[in-house]
Amino acid sequence: MKIIAVVSAKGGVGKTTLSANLAEALAAAGERVLAVDLDPQNALRLHFGMPPQEVGGHARATLAGEPWEPSLYRGRSSALVMPFGALNEADRSAFEAHLVTHPGWLRAQLGALGLGHDDIVVIDTPPGPSPYMRQALSCAQVCVMVALPDAASYAALPLMEDLIRTYCEGRPDYVGHVLVINQVDVSRQLGKDVVQTLRAQLGERVLGVVHQDQAVAEALAYDRSVLEYNPHSQATHDLLRCADRLRQALAAHGEAA
Amino acid sequence: MKPARSRKTAARKAAAAGKAAAPAATRPNALSAKVRRLGLAFVEMPLWDSIPMRVLALVVALCLFALVATVPLDFWQQVGFAAVCFALAVWLNRLKGHLATLVMVVLSVIASSRYMYWRLTETVGLGGLFDAVFGIGLVLAELYAFTVLMLGYFQTAWPLQRRPVPMPADSATWPTVDVFIPTYNEPLSVVKPTVFAAMSLDWPRDKINVYVLDDGRREEFRAFCEKVGVTHVTRSHNRHAKAGNINEALKDTSGEYVAIFDCDHIPTRSFLQICMGWFLKDRRLSMLQTPHYFFSPDPFEKNLQTFQEVPNEGELFYGLVQDGNDLWDATFFCGSCAIIRRAPLLEVGGIAVETVTEDAHTALKLHRKGYGTAYLAIPQAAGLATESLSGHVGQRIRWARGMAQICRLDNPLLGPGLTIWQRMCYLNAMLHFFYGLPRLVFLTAPLAYLLFGAHVIQASALTIATFALPHLLHANMTNSRVQGQFRHSFWNEVYESVLAWYIMRPVLVAFFNPAAGKFNVTPKGGVIEEAYFDWEISRPYLVLLLLNLLGIGVGLLRLFLWNQFEATTVVLNLIWTCYNLVILGASIAVASETRQIRVAHRVAMTLPATLHFADGRTTVCETIDFAEGGIGMRLPPGVTATVGEPVQISLYLQDDEHMFPAKVVFQGESHTGLVLGEMSPRDEMAFIQCTFARADAWVGSWGRKRLDAPGLAAGQILRIGMLGFHNMMFHLGREMRRLLRRPEPGASTN
Repeated sequence: MKIIAVVSAKGGVGKTTLSANLAEALAAAGERVLAVDLDPQNALRLHFGMPPQEVGGHARATLAGEPWEPSLYRGRSSALVMPFGALNEADRSAFEAHLVTHPGWLRAQLGALGLGHDDIVVIDTPPGPSPYMRQALSCAQVCVMVALPDAASYAALPLMEDLIRTYCEGRPDYVGHVLVINQVDVSRQLGKDVVQTLRAQLGERVLGVVHQDQAVAEALAYDRSVLEYNPHSQATHDLLRCADRLRQALAAHGEAA
Repeated sequence: MKPARSRKTAARKAAAAGKAAAPAATRPNALSAKVRRLGLAFVEMPLWDSIPMRVLALVVALCLFALVATVPLDFWQQVGFAAVCFALAVWLNRLKGHLATLVMVVLSVIASSRYMYWRLTETVGLGGLFDAVFGIGLVLAELYAFTVLMLGYFQTAWPLQRRPVPMPADSATWPTVDVFIPTYNEPLSVVKPTVFAAMSLDWPRDKINVYVLDDGRREEFRAFCEKVGVTHVTRSHNRHAKAGNINEALKDTSGEYVAIFDCDHIPTRSFLQICMGWFLKDRRLSMLQTPHYFFSPDPFEKNLQTFQEVPNEGELFYGLVQDGNDLWDATFFCGSCAIIRRAPLLEVGGIAVETVTEDAHTALKLHRKGYGTAYLAIPQAAGLATESLSGHVGQRIRWARGMAQICRLDNPLLGPGLTIWQRMCYLNAMLHFFYGLPRLVFLTAPLAYLLFGAHVIQASALTIATFALPHLLHANMTNSRVQGQFRHSFWNEVYESVLAWYIMRPVLVAFFNPAAGKFNVTPKGGVIEEAYFDWEISRPYLVLLLLNLLGIGVGLLRLFLWNQFEATTVVLNLIWTCYNLVILGASIAVASETRQIRVAHRVAMTLPATLHFADGRTTVCETIDFAEGGIGMRLPPGVTATVGEPVQISLYLQDDEHMFPAKVVFQGESHTGLVLGEMSPRDEMAFIQCTFARADAWVGSWGRKRLDAPGLAAGQILRIGMLGFHNMMFHLGREMRRLLRRPEPGASTN
């Protein structure tokens, strides 16, 4: 089981969309993929075509003391999704308290699913430090940081790297963190400049760039994955390339281990 | 020390071969390996470290050679000897490796020397005035061909295949470079890409200066240079053309090195970093030359439709000859795509101005002062080939005239400072351009017998065959092996035949009166409005053609009526004439100019790209080709663009992405055409960086053409020869109809 956490210190950078599309791209490359939604917004499932009215998810299951399996949803592609589930405010506080008191909760739950050695888990997280993010960080092998090509995202990077340093580095199974620059618009000079700065600063750690592309938004509206919706779009190619590089990194780490 | 040097080159060669010849490396030929080991062991024997030993070996070898070249054999002995030698050469040709090549060269030298010795001693008779004149003419032409063959073997005996030397890590220690872009009358649109590419060279910004040397003193150029931030250099006169232009600029600049690019040779960004390392390693090095690579077809390639298929006329020189020269430290400067160290250049008085080939002459002067030169066979710049046949001929005339001038004014065989090996290389370069007259002699020699009954070779046809055939077969087979990557069999004859008539006079004039003649600028980038046949330029070949056809007619009469007693002689001359006819046909085919619609050339280049449509869609696709202001694209299946739609196209430079405005102007089945929109200088520069100035832009297509296969080449030449006749008849018919019909104005005749 290889766990990838999609994280950002700042909100609104497109983490959920990226998580879903990365999961789809990895699945399209032949991987067995499970996408886990750790964000109380419970939006990841929508990218996999799960009907909005369904309320099930791991949070409800956890509070009810039930196993995860019945809550798994298989969408139109081969990727599985584990929705967060609909919680009211009180339940959410209780759930968060549970996460704080059980730091190994996610690892244990994923372990109980009996996934294969090469199966990939992609975890979507809410922005900024939170019990959810801590759970994800403390079992992730790879952290995919997401940033927009703007000043705010750039300024928030050190905070995220701090968190990663605290929860991930030093663990023997930890591979490393990479950055995806999302919604890049090359026709804007600022975007180009930030991309260049980030590449200069992070070098190989820049997993890739995903261009601003209306195909991504349209795909969700048409209830399709962007890979299906427009296989030739720039965003599709970007995502496939990111997925490919992730697989290479995981494979290289697997060989080294 | 010679052996040490050979060992080093061999190692380098082996390393290079390992990279280049992948199939050979994966399935090693056991016998080849054994022969190669044997050869290396032989070369590395400590015996060769002793100079007396080497002299002794040389003397013994020379004696043996004299013996084998001169020993008289009777008919059957000669047949047997030739057969054994040829069988050996055929067997050797199946082996890989350099030793086999060298032995084949030795066999070829023996066969040709035997032929030449026999020709000179046994076959030059003074039968009558006719026989004597034709006979001596032919033997002199053959002597020329023999000398050039021998010098060629020497020159290309062991191409050095130099590799780049990496630059030191600390760029603060790198030297300063001035980039010179001389121009005279070329339009700004041709020069712009070169300037942008020169500005994009990977080199510390404070150590590089770009100068546009504008001998046209054009305001448009001055404004452009000012806008983009390069120096516009002018002078008050145009004395000594390009050489004078560069020399003037040398006075006002101070970089330690000067990189020179013709205004239409676009350098790749890696040019300096790839080329400069050798200067730091070898302090004696004064000039380093890289190939002239052309991304558009020359008139041969265009009119014969052999572009990217058959190595063109220049490839032998840049692929093999210069690399061969490099072993002897005799690489010539070729005027562009080269770096020169300033101090030695100033020491020889700048670029030479005495001759019209200032480049080769400058190298000669540097060599005389004891400086070295180098050749790096990696295309690091590319440009337009000369457009029309007349332009091409004009350029070659200049080269030929210049070499003849050097021969007279600063003969490399004489004068101080050169090694004997350098003298040999220069001699070959000069002699090369004297091929005009000998080539014409070969194209007409059989006619002396067929038309006039002159016996130009005083021997029986069969005896001639026993000497001439080994000479020709060995030479062709060996050259096919040595040059196969850069020149296909029989193409030499075509290239030379086309130019022979035009080159002959200027060479002779320059040889006898070096001061005559002026520098002509090579015209580039024109349009050929309509397909036409260049009657003017092919006139000498039409005359030769008629003579040869007449020769065939008379020859047939001789064969069946008049000369039955010497039928083999007639047949031999008929065969020779038929061969000449094919070569003439191919020469005439070159003169048939095909239509050239676009002003800008389409340069094939496949690069990843992304199209951004106005409605927000994006499509990842690839480019097919580039032309000035336009791009051909291949969109994925199912995706089409609307003609007239404004789009943006993204091109990439490693991780950098640049977006350019464009408009769809064509949507075909598998091909979408874009025209680029208005661009700022900054965009234009980015565009050049993403396309023509890419470090890997040309490397992939260098020396990768199909290897020579003599049979295929013969078939191809035959086909082209036929095509030449066909074209000529077609155009002849058209002209006749025109003459007869006198169409009313405006009516089309086609």
